[in-house]
Amino acid sequence: MPKRLSLKPEEVEKYRKSKLIDHPDVPVAEKTQRETVPADYRFVFPEFLPDPEYDRRDRVRERLERDDMYRRRMVIEIPEFYVGSIMAVTIADEQTPSKESRFVGICIDRGGIGLRAFFILRNVVDGLGVEIMYEMYDPTVLSIETLLLEKRLDNHLYYLRDAPPEYSTFSFDTEAIPIPKGTAIPVNPLKVKLNPRPWLERWERQDLKGIQELNLPQKFYDRAEIHAEKPWQKHDLMKQYRSNINADDTEQVMKEVHQRKKAIDRENTRRRKEAIFKNKK
Amino acid sequence: MKTICFLFSPVTHQIRGKKVHTALKVTTQALATTKDKSLTKENQEFLDNVVNDLYANQPEYRSPLADGPWKRNVYTKRTLRTGVLAIKLGNLPQWSKDGKKITTTLLQVIVDNHVIRYYSPEVFKTQAGWLPRWSDKYGSVVVGALSTDPRKYNEQYNEQFLEAGVPPKRKLTRFLVTQDAAIQPGTPLNAMHFRPGDFVDCSAKTIHHGFQGAVKRWGFKGLPKTHGTTKKHRSVGGIGGKTIVSVWKGKKMPGVMGGKWRTLKGLKILRINTKYNVLYVKGQNIPGETHTFVRINDTVLPLRRKTENPPPMPTWYPEDESEQLAEEYFDEDLFQFTNESLDLKTGTK
Amino acid sequence: MNMNVVRSIQPVVNSISSRLFSTSTCLQEIRKMARMRVVDNSSLGKAARVSGQPARVIHVYTKNGVATLGDKVLVAVKGQKKKAFIVGVKQKQKAKIPRFDTNNIVLIEDNGAPIGNKITVPLPSLLRKKEGDITKVMPLANRFV
Repeated sequence: MPKRLSLKPEEVEKYRKSKLIDHPDVPVAEKTQRETVPADYRFVFPEFLPDPEYDRRDRVRERLERDDMYRRRMVIEIPEFYVGSIMAVTIADEQTPSKESRFVGICIDRGGIGLRAFFILRNVVDGLGVEIMYEMYDPTVLSIETLLLEKRLDNHLYYLRDAPPEYSTFSFDTEAIPIPKGTAIPVNPLKVKLNPRPWLERWERQDLKGIQELNLPQKFYDRAEIHAEKPWQKHDLMKQYRSNINADDTEQVMKEVHQRKKAIDRENTRRRKEAIFKNKK
Repeated sequence: MKTICFLFSPVTHQIRGKKVHTALKVTTQALATTKDKSLTKENQEFLDNVVNDLYANQPEYRSPLADGPWKRNVYTKRTLRTGVLAIKLGNLPQWSKDGKKITTTLLQVIVDNHVIRYYSPEVFKTQAGWLPRWSDKYGSVVVGALSTDPRKYNEQYNEQFLEAGVPPKRKLTRFLVTQDAAIQPGTPLNAMHFRPGDFVDCSAKTIHHGFQGAVKRWGFKGLPKTHGTTKKHRSVGGIGGKTIVSVWKGKKMPGVMGGKWRTLKGLKILRINTKYNVLYVKGQNIPGETHTFVRINDTVLPLRRKTENPPPMPTWYPEDESEQLAEEYFDEDLFQFTNESLDLKTGTK
Repeated sequence: MNMNVVRSIQPVVNSISSRLFSTSTCLQEIRKMARMRVVDNSSLGKAARVSGQPARVIHVYTKNGVATLGDKVLVAVKGQKKKAFIVGVKQKQKAKIPRFDTNNIVLIEDNGAPIGNKITVPLPSLLRKKEGDITKVMPLANRFV
């Protein structure tokens, strides 16, 4: 059996909190009496949640990482967005004459933890599908805008690669359509009609809600059933526990995000006002 | 003076056919005495308080630093300073000022790094673990980290920390130092021992995979999956023969994979957090998993050693700093997240 | 192609693709025998596109035999050997570098001059900082992403 050569996370914490060691403790979010953290924060700020792999976690590293993320959010506005939202990203680009390049597209996936958080935009430009991955905390990203804030029926939209181009064609001149404050995020019930086979992936084996009936021979569905998740696997508590962050940890982090968000929002509105003032001049 | 040299003995192990002599690097002395379960809760708390007060008030645990500092020498080309013990916290991406992503490894220099003992070259020469090639160039420094409850260890082990006046440490390690970098026992070491832009060597134990076959351990292809192969799909195959009827030394075979000391040399320090004593070191491949112990010392690579801008000798002392210590120090090429976005319009490399 | 035609040949397509081995692409590396799409307006490229016999890579001018953005390859188009530059790839890319739905090439002569005089699709702006013969291809593009 391989030997464990590292300290367990809880053991490290024990030493960090020992009275014999004069070590600064990592501050935790203060308790807020009146305000409650909105329940959807874990979907709005998913990258703030720590790594579900318990052995890789470390409180000090997570704290330093989140600090960097708050600092970056004070400098540029990273808006709320979901898979299915239409977004515009401007990056600094040495190669273009204007030293900037802007790309508009539909967000087909987002992921990553902490400073590694990323999202992928897809658009069809001159009849050719283009996808670009952006890192949210990359300092060369000059602005991120959500032009149309909405959700789709699936967690990813990679099947748009096998769909006709009109499903992922968006004009670069799309105007931002703000949704009124306080309204729920609209879910677009669009069902995509895929091109005939061959495909990049076996979409029939994935539990996708945003695609139309595939009309495949029965044997494809039979195979899909064999490879599908077994009915008892969704009740596997340990599997769920290992792949998710538990409710206590989530609450702890989101409380902190909620507290820091006020200052970030203030900074963002100040910057927006400044930009308007500059434009008028 | 009781010596703690019995903790160190030379270790030999085989790496790809050649014998390499390495000194034992980090050691733990876990000699737990049996815990008295008959103690009441109050008595237990009383004992805890005694332990905590012991190192603050008792005269026999007085720090030798009170006797005044040792002489501080000037850094030269040949100087070898002491290193520090750290734990690996994991990787984080950072960005350079020309927009490139750099993966860094976070190493926390545990706050209670203390110099436990210094041996001059003459004394060190007589101890176990000394190698003839070191001649009389180097003395040694024992550095300890992770202060623990002395009740966990036996008397013999605890007495070794009396000279330094610090609580017993869970981890001890030894660094070679030249005589001009001699350092007083009881001196605390922290992340400011290094500066951003310095280059360091990091050594740690690699991830222990246990006994593994040749396919995983050395990347062998294995034997065919079909064509009559039975029970040998992940086997080594032939290991020599015909003319020389023996197996060559260093032949790659199944065996214990990982769990060995490995050193990465010449890693740049990009950022230092003084509050939590964290070094951001360039590179994502420092051996071991998260929370592994890492020895960090100045690099041995001659071109990356800085003689014109020497590091603090023999270590950084708080009184060196005229101003208040900033929370973070950055390398000049590293992007700081408080700065504006990089527009790359002016002078990129 | 008309959607009705697609539907009428659907059973045929299914029977072709239901082989014993997987026909789905996974790594999408450009090596020898990779099929490429010619994106310039050269008559050779057009003929290849119309005939349904795409250009095939028959040699890669790199050390490891795998080509990526900006690399030079030798392709077989309509019975001719032509050199070409890769100007768009399907493979997963790093952040800020576009990934396209097709593997695109621009045909060039042996002296490095492009055969066509227009490129119909967007090019990755990363190619602009490349040096050598590929700089002659860049003016043909009308759009960069």
